[in-house]
Formats: sequence, structure tokens, C-alpha cells
Amino acid sequence: MSEPILITGAGIVCAIGLDKTEVLHALLSEQTGIKPLKYLKTTHKEFPVGEVKLSDEEMATKLGIASDAPTTRTSLMGMMALEEALTEARLNRHDRESNNVAFVSGTTVGGMDKSEQYYNDFLANDSRNAYIATHDCGSCTEMIADHFGGFSVITSISTACSSAANAIITGANMIQAGITDMVVAGGSECITKFHLNGFNSLMILDQNNCRPFDATRAGLNLGEGAAYIVLESASSAAKRGVRPLATLSGYGNACDAYHQTASSPDGEGAFRAMEEALAMASLQPDNIQYINAHGTGTPNNDQSESAAMRRLFGNAMPFVSSTKSFTGHTTSASGSIETVICLLAMKHRFCPVNLNWQNADDECVVPVHQKLSDIALHHVLCNSFGFGGNDSSLLLSDINL
Amino acid sequence: MRKIYIQSAEQISIQKPLCDEWMDAPELYDGPYTRSIDPNFKQYLSPTESRRLGKILKRALVTSVEAIRNSHTEMPDAIITGTGLGCIENTEFFLSALCNDGEQLLKPTYFMQSTHNTISSLISIHTGNHGYNVTYSQKGMSFDSALLDAWIQLQMSKIDSALVGGHDEMTPSYFTLLQRIGYVGGDMQGVCGECAVSFMVTADATDGMCQLGGIKMLYHPSADMLRNALSALLTEAELDEQDIDFVMTGVNGKKSNDEVYDKLVETLFPDKPLLRYKNVFGECYSASGLGLYTAASCLKRNSIPEFLKYGGIKSKRDDPRNILMVNQYENKMFSFIILKSACCK
Amino acid sequence: MDDLILELKKQIIEVLNLEDVKPEDIDDDAPLFGEGLGLDSIDALELIVLMEKNYGIKLKDPNQGKEIFKSVKVMADYIKNNRTK
Repeated sequence: MSEPILITGAGIVCAIGLDKTEVLHALLSEQTGIKPLKYLKTTHKEFPVGEVKLSDEEMATKLGIASDAPTTRTSLMGMMALEEALTEARLNRHDRESNNVAFVSGTTVGGMDKSEQYYNDFLANDSRNAYIATHDCGSCTEMIADHFGGFSVITSISTACSSAANAIITGANMIQAGITDMVVAGGSECITKFHLNGFNSLMILDQNNCRPFDATRAGLNLGEGAAYIVLESASSAAKRGVRPLATLSGYGNACDAYHQTASSPDGEGAFRAMEEALAMASLQPDNIQYINAHGTGTPNNDQSESAAMRRLFGNAMPFVSSTKSFTGHTTSASGSIETVICLLAMKHRFCPVNLNWQNADDECVVPVHQKLSDIALHHVLCNSFGFGGNDSSLLLSDINL
Repeated sequence: MRKIYIQSAEQISIQKPLCDEWMDAPELYDGPYTRSIDPNFKQYLSPTESRRLGKILKRALVTSVEAIRNSHTEMPDAIITGTGLGCIENTEFFLSALCNDGEQLLKPTYFMQSTHNTISSLISIHTGNHGYNVTYSQKGMSFDSALLDAWIQLQMSKIDSALVGGHDEMTPSYFTLLQRIGYVGGDMQGVCGECAVSFMVTADATDGMCQLGGIKMLYHPSADMLRNALSALLTEAELDEQDIDFVMTGVNGKKSNDEVYDKLVETLFPDKPLLRYKNVFGECYSASGLGLYTAASCLKRNSIPEFLKYGGIKSKRDDPRNILMVNQYENKMFSFIILKSACCK
Repeated sequence: MDDLILELKKQIIEVLNLEDVKPEDIDDDAPLFGEGLGLDSIDALELIVLMEKNYGIKLKDPNQGKEIFKSVKVMADYIKNNRTK
């Protein structure tokens, strides 16, 4: 890479916290955010989920949005996370405008939380037209961007569970190509009946708390949330005098090209994505200390991802854990939520625990299942794999190297 | 700047599919809405392959396979798709079952085929392509976003080729919804259609339809920002303002849309001959992909059908060398794309 | 039993959108997955929905499908013994 890409701000909202401080506390005290359903109005109360612990109304109030303004839960969570990231990076509106800051956000359900409530009204009458306009992915990105203003380019990526990771990759490419010096990238996704029922129809939800990489694992728990990071060229960060959190030193995007919902047994897409990230950073497998795995807790993903990791790392397997045991599977937002979790882990020198792991599975790696602190994480991989084989991997490096 | 070419382009739309017969004898529509003219898919896809695929997926697959076949690139380094609504028909099947029949006995196939990236991943599964694969969904800028991504990576030599597609379908029910929010319908003197278009975009100059000179995207730009972006684009494409022979806009017969283009033309291109394509291909979120296809087809043929021309300014030349495409959405999002004749240096 | 088998074949064709296949084309004992009709894991999920919707049989574990959907005959036997509708 020509010039290092720095991360100069980060914001997060998820089941274990409304900001980085709360999320860090939950990770260190091993408190999961996966609980019985509270906010989503569904008949499927049997599935534990990682909901953000605020109603839409509470989020709107926090953001200063009028209660009758048409918004979506995805947008509201996105705004909360973006606020934290922009504040940390010291990017007010004027700064954004004068630096041509771009905004790239990943989502798949967009405003579906409202569409699934009002779809019959959409068809029959004009009473809910405002929510027709908020249904699609791009509209959610617009609402998040417009709440703050000052972005010179916006776009949305929709690659299912790797959306936010790919948003970060696109942002990094924009900076490398010289289109801009700064991109805010990440993703947001709320739980909807649509995809709760969708995943249920695929029979990959667990009625118990998920157990990534465990021999008894039986599926995933859905989660929701948002996270954004500020990507910035080194020269811009130096000029602005902002202190970076880490470097995005490599990334990879590859397609499994196997099946629309299942991952290949040898994890080909995952393997290529991780390998590409390493190559971009000019690093070897044994330079990696920790992998934040995609680790959904489904029999298929965890086996496939383990196969890919074993192919790449062999005997030099780093520490591995899935934090979906804390947050649930936050689908489109998972790439950025887990990136921010990695940033916290690097700063505070610990490996997040893979909760609920007890039984080794020959086909899976053994994850970090006990407290692991006071550890220097120089280089960390963060994996996100989406339906359709959209596999992405981000490589974060310690800024002090 | 690295020279980039459009080597092939295939479409399924409201015009005759997978050919350029529309240039000589376009289908004419009164509006307000029509669905694409589909080819006989059985010629391209086996029953086993296609049984689960809705229209948008079949169209995306066939245009992609044909674009690859008609290029010199068997395995593109990237597959990048833009779609405004994704697989809306399958989404609606699942959603209406959810709303009307409740949360039981829902069909997994509809859910599985409803996500936006089903399109891109289907192409990769069918062709065995492990390369870079991403889907953009930003309403009227969905295709433009996909093209920008391809352009960026081609310029950095991260890739040498990309299959770039714009795909959107329009069900009758969703047309009703989009009428309600004023995107189409109302006073619109034009047709709303569907889009499936795939391009092989590559650094390989062999048999190129045309050159891709560059692309810029903007959000909420001021007049100055638009002017500066245009100027930068021309410089990168090694062109002067007078080298632009035609400006292609997205006028579609809807007052609120066309007014924005009229103002842009008045400010930035007051003396340029104008072209349009939505009178032929209709309006939909990825229609700009069909705009690019239209411009590329004109450059390949070295002539422009009369029915694409509008406005009072007559061109000094019939053979186009450089076409500037302008796309805008809701007077908020803008893009400029330059296409040059393949033989231009 | 023959009625059930014929009914099942028609339902399978409809639910899995096997356009060019007629009931007489499906052999009672031919494998449905892998070879034979060449169905896959998503089809298995659709058949699970079919079993619940039409015959009131609820499968909790998708892996049960491997045995139950071996062939139309095996599937019909299972339905005959477990149907609640």
C-alpha cells in the first residue's frame, strides 16, 4: 500500500453497549447481551437475540429527532454510532465539508422494520407513504448521513453479513486511489421479523445461546447494531493533529462461489480473503496474534471457517474467538461492530472470550474460552462472511509498530 | 491514468434483449409502466439451474454470461453489481406471506433469493469466480457506485478486469408503491421499466466498444463543486471542454426530474448537443447502466440514432468521439461519466 | 398409499418448481438428493415446510431430512405414519 490508512475514530452501538466504554466493560466482565426478545414484536419468542437495549423512541430522543419524523431503527442506530466516531475523530460539519469526507455504509434490511409493519398499507392507501421511501438500503444511508450533513459522496453496500466489512474496504480503496483523504465506513442493521423468520426458515437459529466452535453448536442468535470507523490517510491525520487508534494495514475480499447460503467445506473464499489481507500488509501468518472470527455458531460456518484458518495458519494458529457470543450475529453491521471490538482489544491488551464454549470439535479450532489479558495484539484479523459466499477479512495493526 | 475499455455490454430491458436492434427500430411505449422483454431463458439456462431463479436473477445471469462470452476475458477479476431494490419480487413474496399468513411455514427459497447480493453471488457460483465480489444499493446511483468501485480498482491495478452490472426489476405492486412516493407516475410523460445490463470493463484494449474516460460521484454538491468535479474529470480523461461532442442526461418525462437536468445543462453545458436514453429504456433505479450502454453502443457504431437527440443544439458532427453522461437523483446525488471512442488516443 | 405417492409427487413438483418434470417421470424409489432429481439442501428445507403445511408433521432438526427424503416412497411411508392432518 502506498500510504498507510489510519483509523482515527470509532463508534459502536450493539447488544452489549451504547458506546465503546460500555462495550469494553461487557467484554472484560464477560457479560453477554443475548437475552430473550424484548423490542421486536414477533411470535417467535423462543429465540434469544442480541437487541440494542433501547426502543426506537428512546433512540430518537437521544438523537434529538422529533417523535413523528419518519425514521427506521437501522438509521437510528447508525446515527448513534456515527456520532461517537465523528466526535472521536474531531470531525464537525465544517471539517467534513472542507475535507471532502465520504460516507460508505453497509446494510441489507434497510428500513424493513417499518415495511414489514406497513406493507399492506403501502399497497392499499397513502397513509404510510413516508415509510415506502425509507425501505431501501440507500435511503437509510442517506438518513444517517443527512442527520449530520457535510459528506461529499455517499453510497451503500449490501453483501449480507459482510456489508460493513466491504464498506470499510471500499472506503480504504477510495483513500488509496486519491479520491478523498477521509472516509467514514461501517454498517448498521436492526433485527426484523423478515430476517428472523428468514433465518428460521433456513433452520439455522438456536433456541439457546450460541456456542461458536463448540461440538454441540446448533445455530446462531441474531443481533443488531451499528458501528463506524473513520479511515484517514496518514498525511491528513498528521495535518489535523489527530491521534490514530490503529492502522488498517490490509484487507481481502473473495467469493466462495459455492452456494447461496452454505459455505464450502474447505472454506475457499474465507481462505483467499484472509490470505489477500496478509499479502497486502506484507505479513506472514505467524505475525497475527488474534482472529476475531465470523464464528456464527452454525455447524456449517464454524467448520468451514476453521478449515480455512487451518489451511492458512497450520501450526501457527493465533488466538481465535467469536464475539457473536456477546452481541449476537449483527448481520450487515457485524464487520464494523467486530472491527471496533478488535480496536478495543488492541488498545486494552486482551482477547475477547468466546463465550459458551465447552466441547472441542475435531473439525473446529479451539477458541479463547478463558480470560486472556495483558497481551500485546500487534496484528489482528477480523473476518466477515456473507450469504452467497461474499467473504471479507480486515487486518488491523498496532499504531505503535 | 490507466486506459480502461468497455469490451462488451449486454442488456435485457424493455427493448429487444441481447442485441442492438433498438438502435434501428426501438419498441415504443406510452407508459406508465412495462416489464422487460425476456429472451427464451431455456436457450441459456438448464431447467435445474433456473427453477429457483426469479426474473431479475435469470436476466443478470444471462446478460453476464453473454457479456463474458462476447469479451476477451473468461474470468473477470471482479464482479461488481449495482441494484436499487435488489430482488424485490422475492422480497415481496416473503414479505406478503409474513404479513398475511403469519410467521409460520415461510418458504426459505424466497428469503434466500431476496438479498441484494444474490445477484452477484449467483454469477460467481455459475462461473466459478473467486474474485472480488460486491453489491451496491444506493437508489439511482447504484450502478454508478458499482462502476466507480471498478474504476478505482482498475486505476490502482488491483484488478485488470471487472464484470459490472446494473440490475433492477419492477413488480406491478412495487410500481404502485413508487408512484405513491412520486418517483414515477403522476405527471410523468414517460415509461417506468426494468434493467439488466452487464459490462466487461477492462484494461485490455482488444475490440473495445469504447473507452471509459472516468467517473465522479457527488452528494449535495454546490454549483462550484459540480463545476470543479467536471473540470477534474475532463483533465483526467485528457479532454478539454470543447472535446465533448454530446451530453447524455437522464431526462425521463417527469417534471421534477427533468428540471434538475435542464438547470445543469443551462449552467454547465449550454452549448452542447443533448442525448437521452430513458425515452427508449424507461426509468428505474439502475437505468444509468442502460444509459452507459446506450452511449457505448453509439460510440461502437460511430453514429447516434435521431430519437436519442433532444434540445435545440445541433451537433457539428454525427460521429461521436466523446460523450459525457450526467446522472442525478432527487437533486441530491450526482454523477459524471465520460466515454470516449475506442480509437481515441 | 399410491394416492399419497401421486399427491406427494405433484406437491414436490409444484413446491420445488420442477417445471419440466411430470409425476410419471419420478421413480418411487429413486434417490431425490444427490443423483436422481438432484435436489439440494434448500430443497430439503422446502420439503420440511411442505410436510408441516400439508401433513402437520414438524421436523425440528434439518438433518432428519437426510433419512426421510431418501425417496418418494420413503417420504410417503414417513408421512403415513406421522401425519396429523
